[in-house]
Amino acid sequence: MMDTSRRHFLGMAAAGTAAALLPGCAPHGTEPQTPVAYEAGKPLPWINWAGTQHCIPKTRLGPASEAELAEALRTARGTVRAVGSSHSFSGLVPTDDTLIATDLLSGLVSHDTATLQAELWAGTRLHDVGPLLASIGQALPNMPDMDYPALGGAIATSVHATGPRYGSLSSHVTGLTLATPGGELIECSATRHPEIFSAARTSLGALGIVTRIRLQNEASFQLTEVNRIERTEDVLAELDERMTRHRHFEFLPLTNSDLCVTVATDPAKADDKDAGQDDPQAINDLRKLFDAVSWMPGARAVYDRLLKIALGDAASTVRTGPSHQVFPHVRVVRFREMEYMVPAEAGPACLREILQTIRERNIPVCFPLEYRQVAGDDIWLSMFQGRPSACIAVHQFGDVDYKRYFAEIEPIFWKHAGRPHWGKLHTLDAARLSALYPKHWQDFQEIRRTLDPQGRMLNAHLKTMFGV
Amino acid sequence: MKIACILAGVLWLAAPLASHAEPTERQLKLLQNNCLQCHVREHLGAPVMGRLEDWSTRNRKGEEALLRNVVQGLRGMPPLGYCAACDEADLRVLVRLVAGLPERK
Repeated sequence: MMDTSRRHFLGMAAAGTAAALLPGCAPHGTEPQTPVAYEAGKPLPWINWAGTQHCIPKTRLGPASEAELAEALRTARGTVRAVGSSHSFSGLVPTDDTLIATDLLSGLVSHDTATLQAELWAGTRLHDVGPLLASIGQALPNMPDMDYPALGGAIATSVHATGPRYGSLSSHVTGLTLATPGGELIECSATRHPEIFSAARTSLGALGIVTRIRLQNEASFQLTEVNRIERTEDVLAELDERMTRHRHFEFLPLTNSDLCVTVATDPAKADDKDAGQDDPQAINDLRKLFDAVSWMPGARAVYDRLLKIALGDAASTVRTGPSHQVFPHVRVVRFREMEYMVPAEAGPACLREILQTIRERNIPVCFPLEYRQVAGDDIWLSMFQGRPSACIAVHQFGDVDYKRYFAEIEPIFWKHAGRPHWGKLHTLDAARLSALYPKHWQDFQEIRRTLDPQGRMLNAHLKTMFGV
Repeated sequence: MKIACILAGVLWLAAPLASHAEPTERQLKLLQNNCLQCHVREHLGAPVMGRLEDWSTRNRKGEEALLRNVVQGLRGMPPLGYCAACDEADLRVLVRLVAGLPERK
């Protein structure tokens, strides 16, 4: 996000201020990083990446073949849930009964050089998808900004990247194989079991477990990403133009500041060269600076001023290379996230309201927001169903209480008809969610009841969301 | 430098396994899918497989402490090292492999 000189300045500023003003560094109502402790000899807990979810399943399975997985589903006891890389923030995974991990179902199944399609096992991690596809001359048209999730989990929750001409990962799926709760394997596509296909492309893992996924790819390509520090209002003033001009564009507004980090990504030119360094720890320096001044009267203004001094005339950071190396960024700082998709035209107003609310209510947060744009699709429970969307995310550090902050912001998303990301934190139940998906909510529920009449795939979170 | 790190990890794995851990084919796949994405890359803050200086202090705490950090997660280290399929026996073998700990007798 920032080059090393910027990081160095931030670090120095934070250290210098903090040394004199340590009381300002007090944490804001921390909660434990680990929701459940490991005890030797006791059943192993499952914990998600953010530490927001956990469970202690009676049975933990890692089938090594599709047939083994189907049999495991058929004979599983109690509530069955699937898990990939455990990257969802929301409660999609926890079960105290049977947890089936797809880790061992990974790799390339087949590919077609003429159509540029490839079939992969659903447990394949996104960080392996890129090199696997590169080896056959293909590439995902678009990728999220981190590559830790498993492909199956990414599809189940409509994981997305940015670019108004590109849909979510689910929209690039041309076929899949679903292992039903009854242990049947169903191959589906737009022409084979099309209704199951429409439901299974974003299923929340409620229909069974997807084992294979066929993707429509592009020929391998090179990208160059340029990061800049700019004024948020300047970016909003020409947002449509930037979204049109660049292959991919997003920006990360810095809370309690007028600044943002812009990320523009385009096909690489022959003379593009890396400049600066992607720094996964930079977010910690923002935090040090924010904490160091937070005790002061008018702390937000001081923070904003320091950021402008530190970042105002900073040079760009440039990353260039194969697309699967440029799209993702390293994430080593754990955080909690809430993201809503609002109609694209509502995005700027929604963002301004969030930034204004943070300032007016004096919310102590320095973790940047994220603003992306994604094309609409026709997938029943996709957050992008029927409408191009602006995706706005709020985050908080993993050891800080996020609930009060998110509770202040979530109603703003509701006001703008936002749909929550299925894999991220939200508080909506069936009544609110069904109203956000008027066209296909019931269609999905009917397919779900047909495939899983006993509701074996439903954990507490899914029951709340589906009103079961 | 990235190649050097990967090479160090591979050589680490190729060292006499009897003194470290004997992974099954399944455990090697779990290692490949999960552990290697961070532990053969420099500048992430994660200790690099095969680089002794990264592990000497950590390994003095012993296998149980390393295992606790793996299961619960620690700073950038995700809980269970992303490996939801791993049981405790798997994690013990993977911890020994990645950290270069000798197998317990």
